[in-house]
Order: sequence, then C-alpha cells, then structure tokens
Amino acid sequence: MGQRRRSAVKAPSSPSVSAAGEVARVPHKKHKICMVSDFFYPNMGGVESHIYQLSQCLIEKGHKVVIATHAYGRRKGVRYLTNGLKVYYLPLQVMYNQSTSTTVFHSLPLLRCVFVREGITVVHAHSSFSAMAHDALFHAKTMGLNTVFTDHSLFGFADVSSVLTNKLLTVSLCDTNHIVCVSYTSKENTVLRAALNPEIVSVIPNAVDPTDFTPDPSQRQDDTITIVVISRLVYRKGTDLLGGIIPELCLKHPDLHFLIGGEGPKRIVLEEVREKYQLHDRVRLLGALEHKDVRGVLVQGHIFLNTSLTEAFCMAIVEGASCGLQVVSTRVGGIPEVLPDDLITLCEPTVRSLCAGLETVIAKQRSGSVPSPASIHAKVRNLYTWRNVAERTEKVYDRVAGEEVLPLDRRLQRLRTHCGPVAGSIFALFAVMDFLFVLLLQWLVPDRFMDMAVDATGPQGLWRQEKSRKDSAIN
Amino acid sequence: MEDETYTDINGKAISLDCQSHSGLCREFTVSSAKVSIGKVMVYTCSVWLFAYAVFFFTQNTAVLSCAILITLVGMMFHIHFVKVDHESLLVIGSLGIQVSSSYASGRETTTFIEMSRIKDIVINEAIYMHQIIYYLCVLLKDPSEPNAVSSVVPLFQNSKPRLNCLVKVYKSCQEILSKC
Amino acid sequence: MGPDGAPGPSVPWQKVLWERQPFPDNYVDQRFLEELRRNEGIRQYRYWTVVKEAGFVGQQLSCVAIFISLWLYMEQGLLSPETLLWSSLVCALLGYGLYQSLSSQVESGCEPRTRLADLQSAAIFLSFTFGFSPVLKTLTESVSTDTVYAMSAIMLLAHLVSFPYTHPSPPGSLSLNAALFASVCLASRLPGALHTFAMLSCALMVFALWPCLLQRVRDIAPTHFTGVCLGVCVGGVGGLGLQSPGGAVLLALALGSVTLLCPLLLVRLQRHKDNIQGPWDEAEIHEDLDHGRGT
Repeated sequence: MGQRRRSAVKAPSSPSVSAAGEVARVPHKKHKICMVSDFFYPNMGGVESHIYQLSQCLIEKGHKVVIATHAYGRRKGVRYLTNGLKVYYLPLQVMYNQSTSTTVFHSLPLLRCVFVREGITVVHAHSSFSAMAHDALFHAKTMGLNTVFTDHSLFGFADVSSVLTNKLLTVSLCDTNHIVCVSYTSKENTVLRAALNPEIVSVIPNAVDPTDFTPDPSQRQDDTITIVVISRLVYRKGTDLLGGIIPELCLKHPDLHFLIGGEGPKRIVLEEVREKYQLHDRVRLLGALEHKDVRGVLVQGHIFLNTSLTEAFCMAIVEGASCGLQVVSTRVGGIPEVLPDDLITLCEPTVRSLCAGLETVIAKQRSGSVPSPASIHAKVRNLYTWRNVAERTEKVYDRVAGEEVLPLDRRLQRLRTHCGPVAGSIFALFAVMDFLFVLLLQWLVPDRFMDMAVDATGPQGLWRQEKSRKDSAIN
Repeated sequence: MEDETYTDINGKAISLDCQSHSGLCREFTVSSAKVSIGKVMVYTCSVWLFAYAVFFFTQNTAVLSCAILITLVGMMFHIHFVKVDHESLLVIGSLGIQVSSSYASGRETTTFIEMSRIKDIVINEAIYMHQIIYYLCVLLKDPSEPNAVSSVVPLFQNSKPRLNCLVKVYKSCQEILSKC
Repeated sequence: MGPDGAPGPSVPWQKVLWERQPFPDNYVDQRFLEELRRNEGIRQYRYWTVVKEAGFVGQQLSCVAIFISLWLYMEQGLLSPETLLWSSLVCALLGYGLYQSLSSQVESGCEPRTRLADLQSAAIFLSFTFGFSPVLKTLTESVSTDTVYAMSAIMLLAHLVSFPYTHPSPPGSLSLNAALFASVCLASRLPGALHTFAMLSCALMVFALWPCLLQRVRDIAPTHFTGVCLGVCVGGVGGLGLQSPGGAVLLALALGSVTLLCPLLLVRLQRHKDNIQGPWDEAEIHEDLDHGRGT
C-alpha cells in the first residue's frame, strides 16, 4: 500500500517552467479521471484494491487520477497516497456496511467542487453497492461529464430487494456512457439487470500483482498435505460447505491439514466442527489476515480451496494459483472463466462434489504428478496484470471521451422511455431538480471563484516532474 | 506587484499588503472590505419592520424597544467578535511568527509562535462547509520530537484568501524560513 | 463496433478471460446469454385446484361473518345465551367425535393426548371463562362503543390477514389472539354476564377448534372438504342475510371474488411470469449440512 504522506502540498515553485517538456511525448489524449466509490482504503477488499491498483497504473500512463470516497472515522479531508494519488475523504454520513446514505442531492456540493477544481473529464464510479458511486454518476451527468461505471458483483433476480436494487441500477446506468464488468458472466448479469445495450458493456477482468504472490515450496511441510482457504467466513463464501468438507476428509486422510484465513459470522460453524471432531491440531483458524500476510499463508499450502456460492471474478483463486497451489473451486458465477482447466479443478457447490474433487487432487499430490509450483506460477503470472487492465480501461476512456453527454431534455426522454413510466418520471423529476440545484450552486459559488487544484498527477503533475528532476539529478 | 487584485473564496475583494521591514522580517496584512453601511441599514430596517409589524398586531410597545436593543447589541457583537477588519502575519526570521487579527471595533487578538516550535509553513487543502479550499497553515513540532508534526495553526482564518494570494505569502515566508 | 476496430473472425470467441482474444472488450458474441434460463421449475396452476384451495379462505371469512351474526342475534335478544350454550355443546361434542374418528384413521402412533387431558383443559377453560365473565363484561365499560366496534373490526381483519391458511392447525398465535381480543370486545357489549360467557365459548369454538377440525377434514377427505367449505359459506351468507341483507350481499361478493376471481387472476397472470436464472445466481446448499454426523 505504500506510505501515506501528509496532505501538505508544497505550492509550485515554478509552475510554468517544466510543463513544456512533458507534452511532446504524450501519444494520445490524457484524461482527468475521478474514481468514486464508497469503498476505499482503509477499508479492505477487492473493490478497494482494484481502484488503487488501477489508479496507480493510470498515473503511470500519464493520466491524472483523483479518488473520492467518504470519510472513514477521523480520516477525512484530502490525502495523498503513493505517486501523488490524491484521495478526497468527503464527510458524508455512512448508513450501512460502509455505504453512504443517498438523498440523491446532499453529496452534490462537495462532488461538484471536486469535479470542478480538479478539471475532471471522466467520472468512473465503482461497485453497485456504493450509493456514493450512483450519486456521483447522477451529478456528473447533470454537470455534463462523461461517465464510466464498473460493476464488481453479481446479483440475483428472485427476491424483492434485488427487484428494487435492479430498478435503481437501471435508472443509474441508463444514460451512463460505458460500463465495465469483471467477467463475461458479470456482463450478462449486468446487461439483464439494468436492461442495457451489450455494446456499451466491456469486460475487463481484475488483476493480481504477480510479484506479490510468488511460490516458495520451502515453506511447505512435505510429510503432510495442507489445504488453504482464504475468504471471509460468511454464507456467500460457502463456509457451511467447508464445515461439511472438513470432517469428511479429515477422517479419511490422517495427514491432511486445513489452514483457514479470514473472519466472519460463520466462524462459529468451523469452530463447532473443530470441537466436535477434536481437530484442533489439524484445522487452524488464523482470523482476519492483512493483505500483506496472505502470501505467507498461501505458500504454506499444497491445495487452495474456494467454496464460494457466488463470485463475479474471484481474485483469490488467481492468487492461490500464482503462489503455485493446486486450485479446487466451486463452478459458480464467473469462476469457470478465470483459470484454464489444467490449473483448476471445478466442482459443483455440494459437499460430495467438492470432496471428490479434493480427493483426486490429493491423490495426484501424493503420486507427485502435479506440476511444480514454479511452473504454475510461470503460467499464471502474465494472465492478469494491472498494466493490461489499465490499458484496456484507457481504451474505454478514449471511447467515452468522444461520446456526447445527453443534454437535459434528451436525458429526461431517455429516463422516461428506458426506466418505465413510474420510476422514469420520478427520476426525471430528480434529474430536473439536480439540474436546478447545480444552477443554484453555480450562482452561489461560481466556478471562477474556485481555485483550480494543483495537479499532483497527470500531464502537468508536479510529483512526476519532481521525480524526473530527481532522476536526472542522480544520472 | 501590489496592485494585483485578490479575492477571498466567496469572490469578495480583499487586499494584500506586504511590508518588508528588513531582510529577515516581513509583515503580510490581508484586509477585507469594511462593514458596508448599506448592509447595516438593510439588517436594521428588516428587524425594525418586523418589530413594527408585531407591534401593529399586539399593540405592545415593549416589542419596539426590544428591537432597538437587539439591533444595537447585535451590531456591537458583530463588530467586536465577528467582523475581522484585517489579519496580519509578521514573520521575523530568527524569532518567530506573530499572527494577529483586528476586529472592526478595534479589538485585537495576537498569538506568537516561536521559531523553535515551527516546523514549516505550507499550503493545505481542507473541506470547509460545502467547499474544498486551500489555506495557509503553520506546522508546529514538539521540541522533543523534531520530525513529527504536533499540531497545525491555520492562518488568515477569517479572510480566507484564494490560492494566488496564499502562494505569494507562502513564497515570501519560505524565503525567510530558508535563510534561518 | 468496438474501440479496437473490426476483429479477425477466423478464431471463434471463447467465454474465457485467461486468453487474450482478438476481439474488442465490448464484443458481443452469438453465444451471449446462452446460459440464460427462464421460468425453470415453475409450478403450473389449474383453475379449479386453486379455487378449491381458496375455499379455505372463503370459509374463514364466512366463519367471521357467522360469529358476527350470532353476536347480532344475541345483542338484539333474538338468541338466548342458554340456547347458544347448549347448541355449542352439542356442536363441540359432535366435532370432537368426528375429529377423533378421523384421527383414528391415520393413527400416527404417537398420540400423547388422552380424552381425559382434553376434558381437563376444556373444563379449566370453561370454568375460568365463567368465573371471569363478569369482569370481562365490565372491562370495556369506560371505552366508548364506537371505539370498541372499530377495534373489533380491525382485530377481525387482522385475524383474517394473519391466519395461517396453509397449516391452520394449530391456529397462529397472532390470528388467534386477534380474534379472541375482538370477541372479548364484542362480548362485553352484550346485556349480561352469561351472554359474555356464551359468546366467548362460541368464539373459542369458531376460531380455535374449528380450523383444527377442518384441517383434518382437508387432509383425510378432500372431497368432503369442498362441501364443508361451501356449506359454511352458504351458512355465513344466510345467517348474515337475516340480520342485514346489505351485509350479506357484500359478503357474497367478497366470497365470490376471493374464491373465483382471485384464482382466475392468478392463473391468467401466470402467463406473464418471467423468472430469469443463470450462472450468476447464488448457488443453494441443498444438502443437509448437519455437522453432528458420526458422533
């Protein structure tokens, strides 16, 4: 995660001198991107690291990136992360599960301020669970900015709550310029949920930093077989299945060990199993793991087990394979798309099927017919890289930058034709109110009274220039 | 240089006055607009009209005297505690920084920070009401821990000048701080 | 169409992420959504089956109507409490006999309740109700009659809404309590303490014991069940009709719409059902994950 600097910007000592040299070698248009999501560091998870890594790679490519999220405890205001990645922790009220409440309007003044002072051209919102992301999309369209949305999760269609959230997603995405999904299954899901034209949905998978996940067979104990599980211990991750697998396999194979990293409400299930079958020495529950400790746990195992019941992409199995482990996983969501068949054993989400899959892998492991960790790592290391993700996302930005943002009248028409007469009309009313609110804010705090922010990243980024100046001083 | 126009974050004109007493001693004064008579009149009139309307219906003369009292006390409170006429920052190279603000009534508050406690002067960003603004601040350090920032003293808190003004003050301050 | 320009169509598209394919990221293949399944495992309803099932709802509505008309008769003095008590007793004994004979046909083997226990609980309940009926009679004296009527109406409605129509035996606690609350309210407006007692015993029979018997009938003799429901409905409409013809017409309309119109709507709307399933659905754990196996 790198060091966090104090949010002190030294004012430019000579703003006009060093900008000229940079412009000459930029191949195509540079964007000023604002990533918006409720989920960012210090919260940990897939979305958070996706935003961080993608931003870093885009900064490397010369784009300007800022991130807007809500305040986490005492962490509010403006912060700078590695390479001048600027993060706005806006003081918005958190409602549930780290997602802000949405009244549609209350976040507008601050988000407008961010968009204007940073000169944002593309607003990129992440995660459909984040109310702030949807708010930002709504306001950005009102302000005439291009919008991109990345969906990280799968959703069903069966119950009342999903009917409601799917309707909101339809409204939110109906005039968004482009949508990014992390797998083909996720794309199908999003297209159905939000009734989208599939042409405006791109599939860009997540990535794993291969240098963070390298194999180290010396950490393994060779007289035993260790199965590693790293996931939050919740229902959706299939902890109940895990609770059924452990006794079944442990009774058959006395040299089998389980190493389980993660925390959650279903931990009690595993503790019960451990208690009941007296497996304290063979099933180790490590509790919540920090990201940097994950590799240390992975390399101790021979087999990586994933029991998720639903998953859009599943970074964990890629991380497991990258550390040279044999991967066994349930065949749900986008998981079958992630790894080629020689690297993964797919099973149905039942205890019997998973046990059978694990048995075959254990037998292979015993006979020594599995490929070496180093060869598995070599296969996986170039499958998913953040640089590739950034390149493909850049193409999305290039495409979006050429598109027009619907003016208010056509936006209203689109809302009403696309989202049904009732919801469409309600949100058309919201769009009009949002537009009037923007006008009011433009009258109260005109754009010309707002100081343009000093760029830390991007074509005129000061951090980059400072760095290049330092580099040239060294040479 | 002096005639460059500056505004505060709300777009109202302010003026910056830089006085160089010596190579190591400079004073920056940010003055905002005086209390405008028009504004005072509008407020007073609206309070009095309201009071007269109440009086018209209740026929109670206490309302009128109350209104007079409220306007007088309000005005005095405003010029004594709220309205800052000018804020100044006196930087003396070897000694320290003196921050003073004088209110419209003539009241002055002054704080002095000695050089040993000052780590640096920087321009920072903060969320203020529904805006994100730049402000100038002094970083203080604890003498026992010279590398850590113990607290932050924001400068020009009342006039809130915009970035171009802050940059000018910042550069001059850095010149002095770098010399000692 | 995509930002990458036209792809070389020589290689077929694959739904995999690990391979870099010569297609743009927003490429839409023929196979897009091929794993989508609609209305899987859907239950097709037939009109008359649904009507038969809806009969239970109709008869419960009629039960409430019968109870209200009994109360109306009592309030106007057309029905003496003694008559009601005797007839209730006869009905209860007949019903008990029927219940026992029906249960003896199934005889699941574990029948812990003896006749004596049944008699005991009946005696306890009756004696308590009898003892407390003067208290219940004066319970709502300080409350205005309008309030009592409104309360009873709301409570009877709550009883109808919260009644567990799929498994009416034993009646759900919310529905039973709502119904008993309503009957206490109504009974307290009757002229004498004996009236109150008779009304409450009758309420217990209609709201607590009758659904149990009916459930048994539905399980054992489905053909008779339809007849019983029809009888109760006719009884409800007829009984109410003697007191207030307008009420009877309303009840008949309500019964008609609940038992005939609503099933028709259900069957008709079934055609518009569009349930989408696909690989994105959360997998369900069907196995019995009893962690206590092998103890």
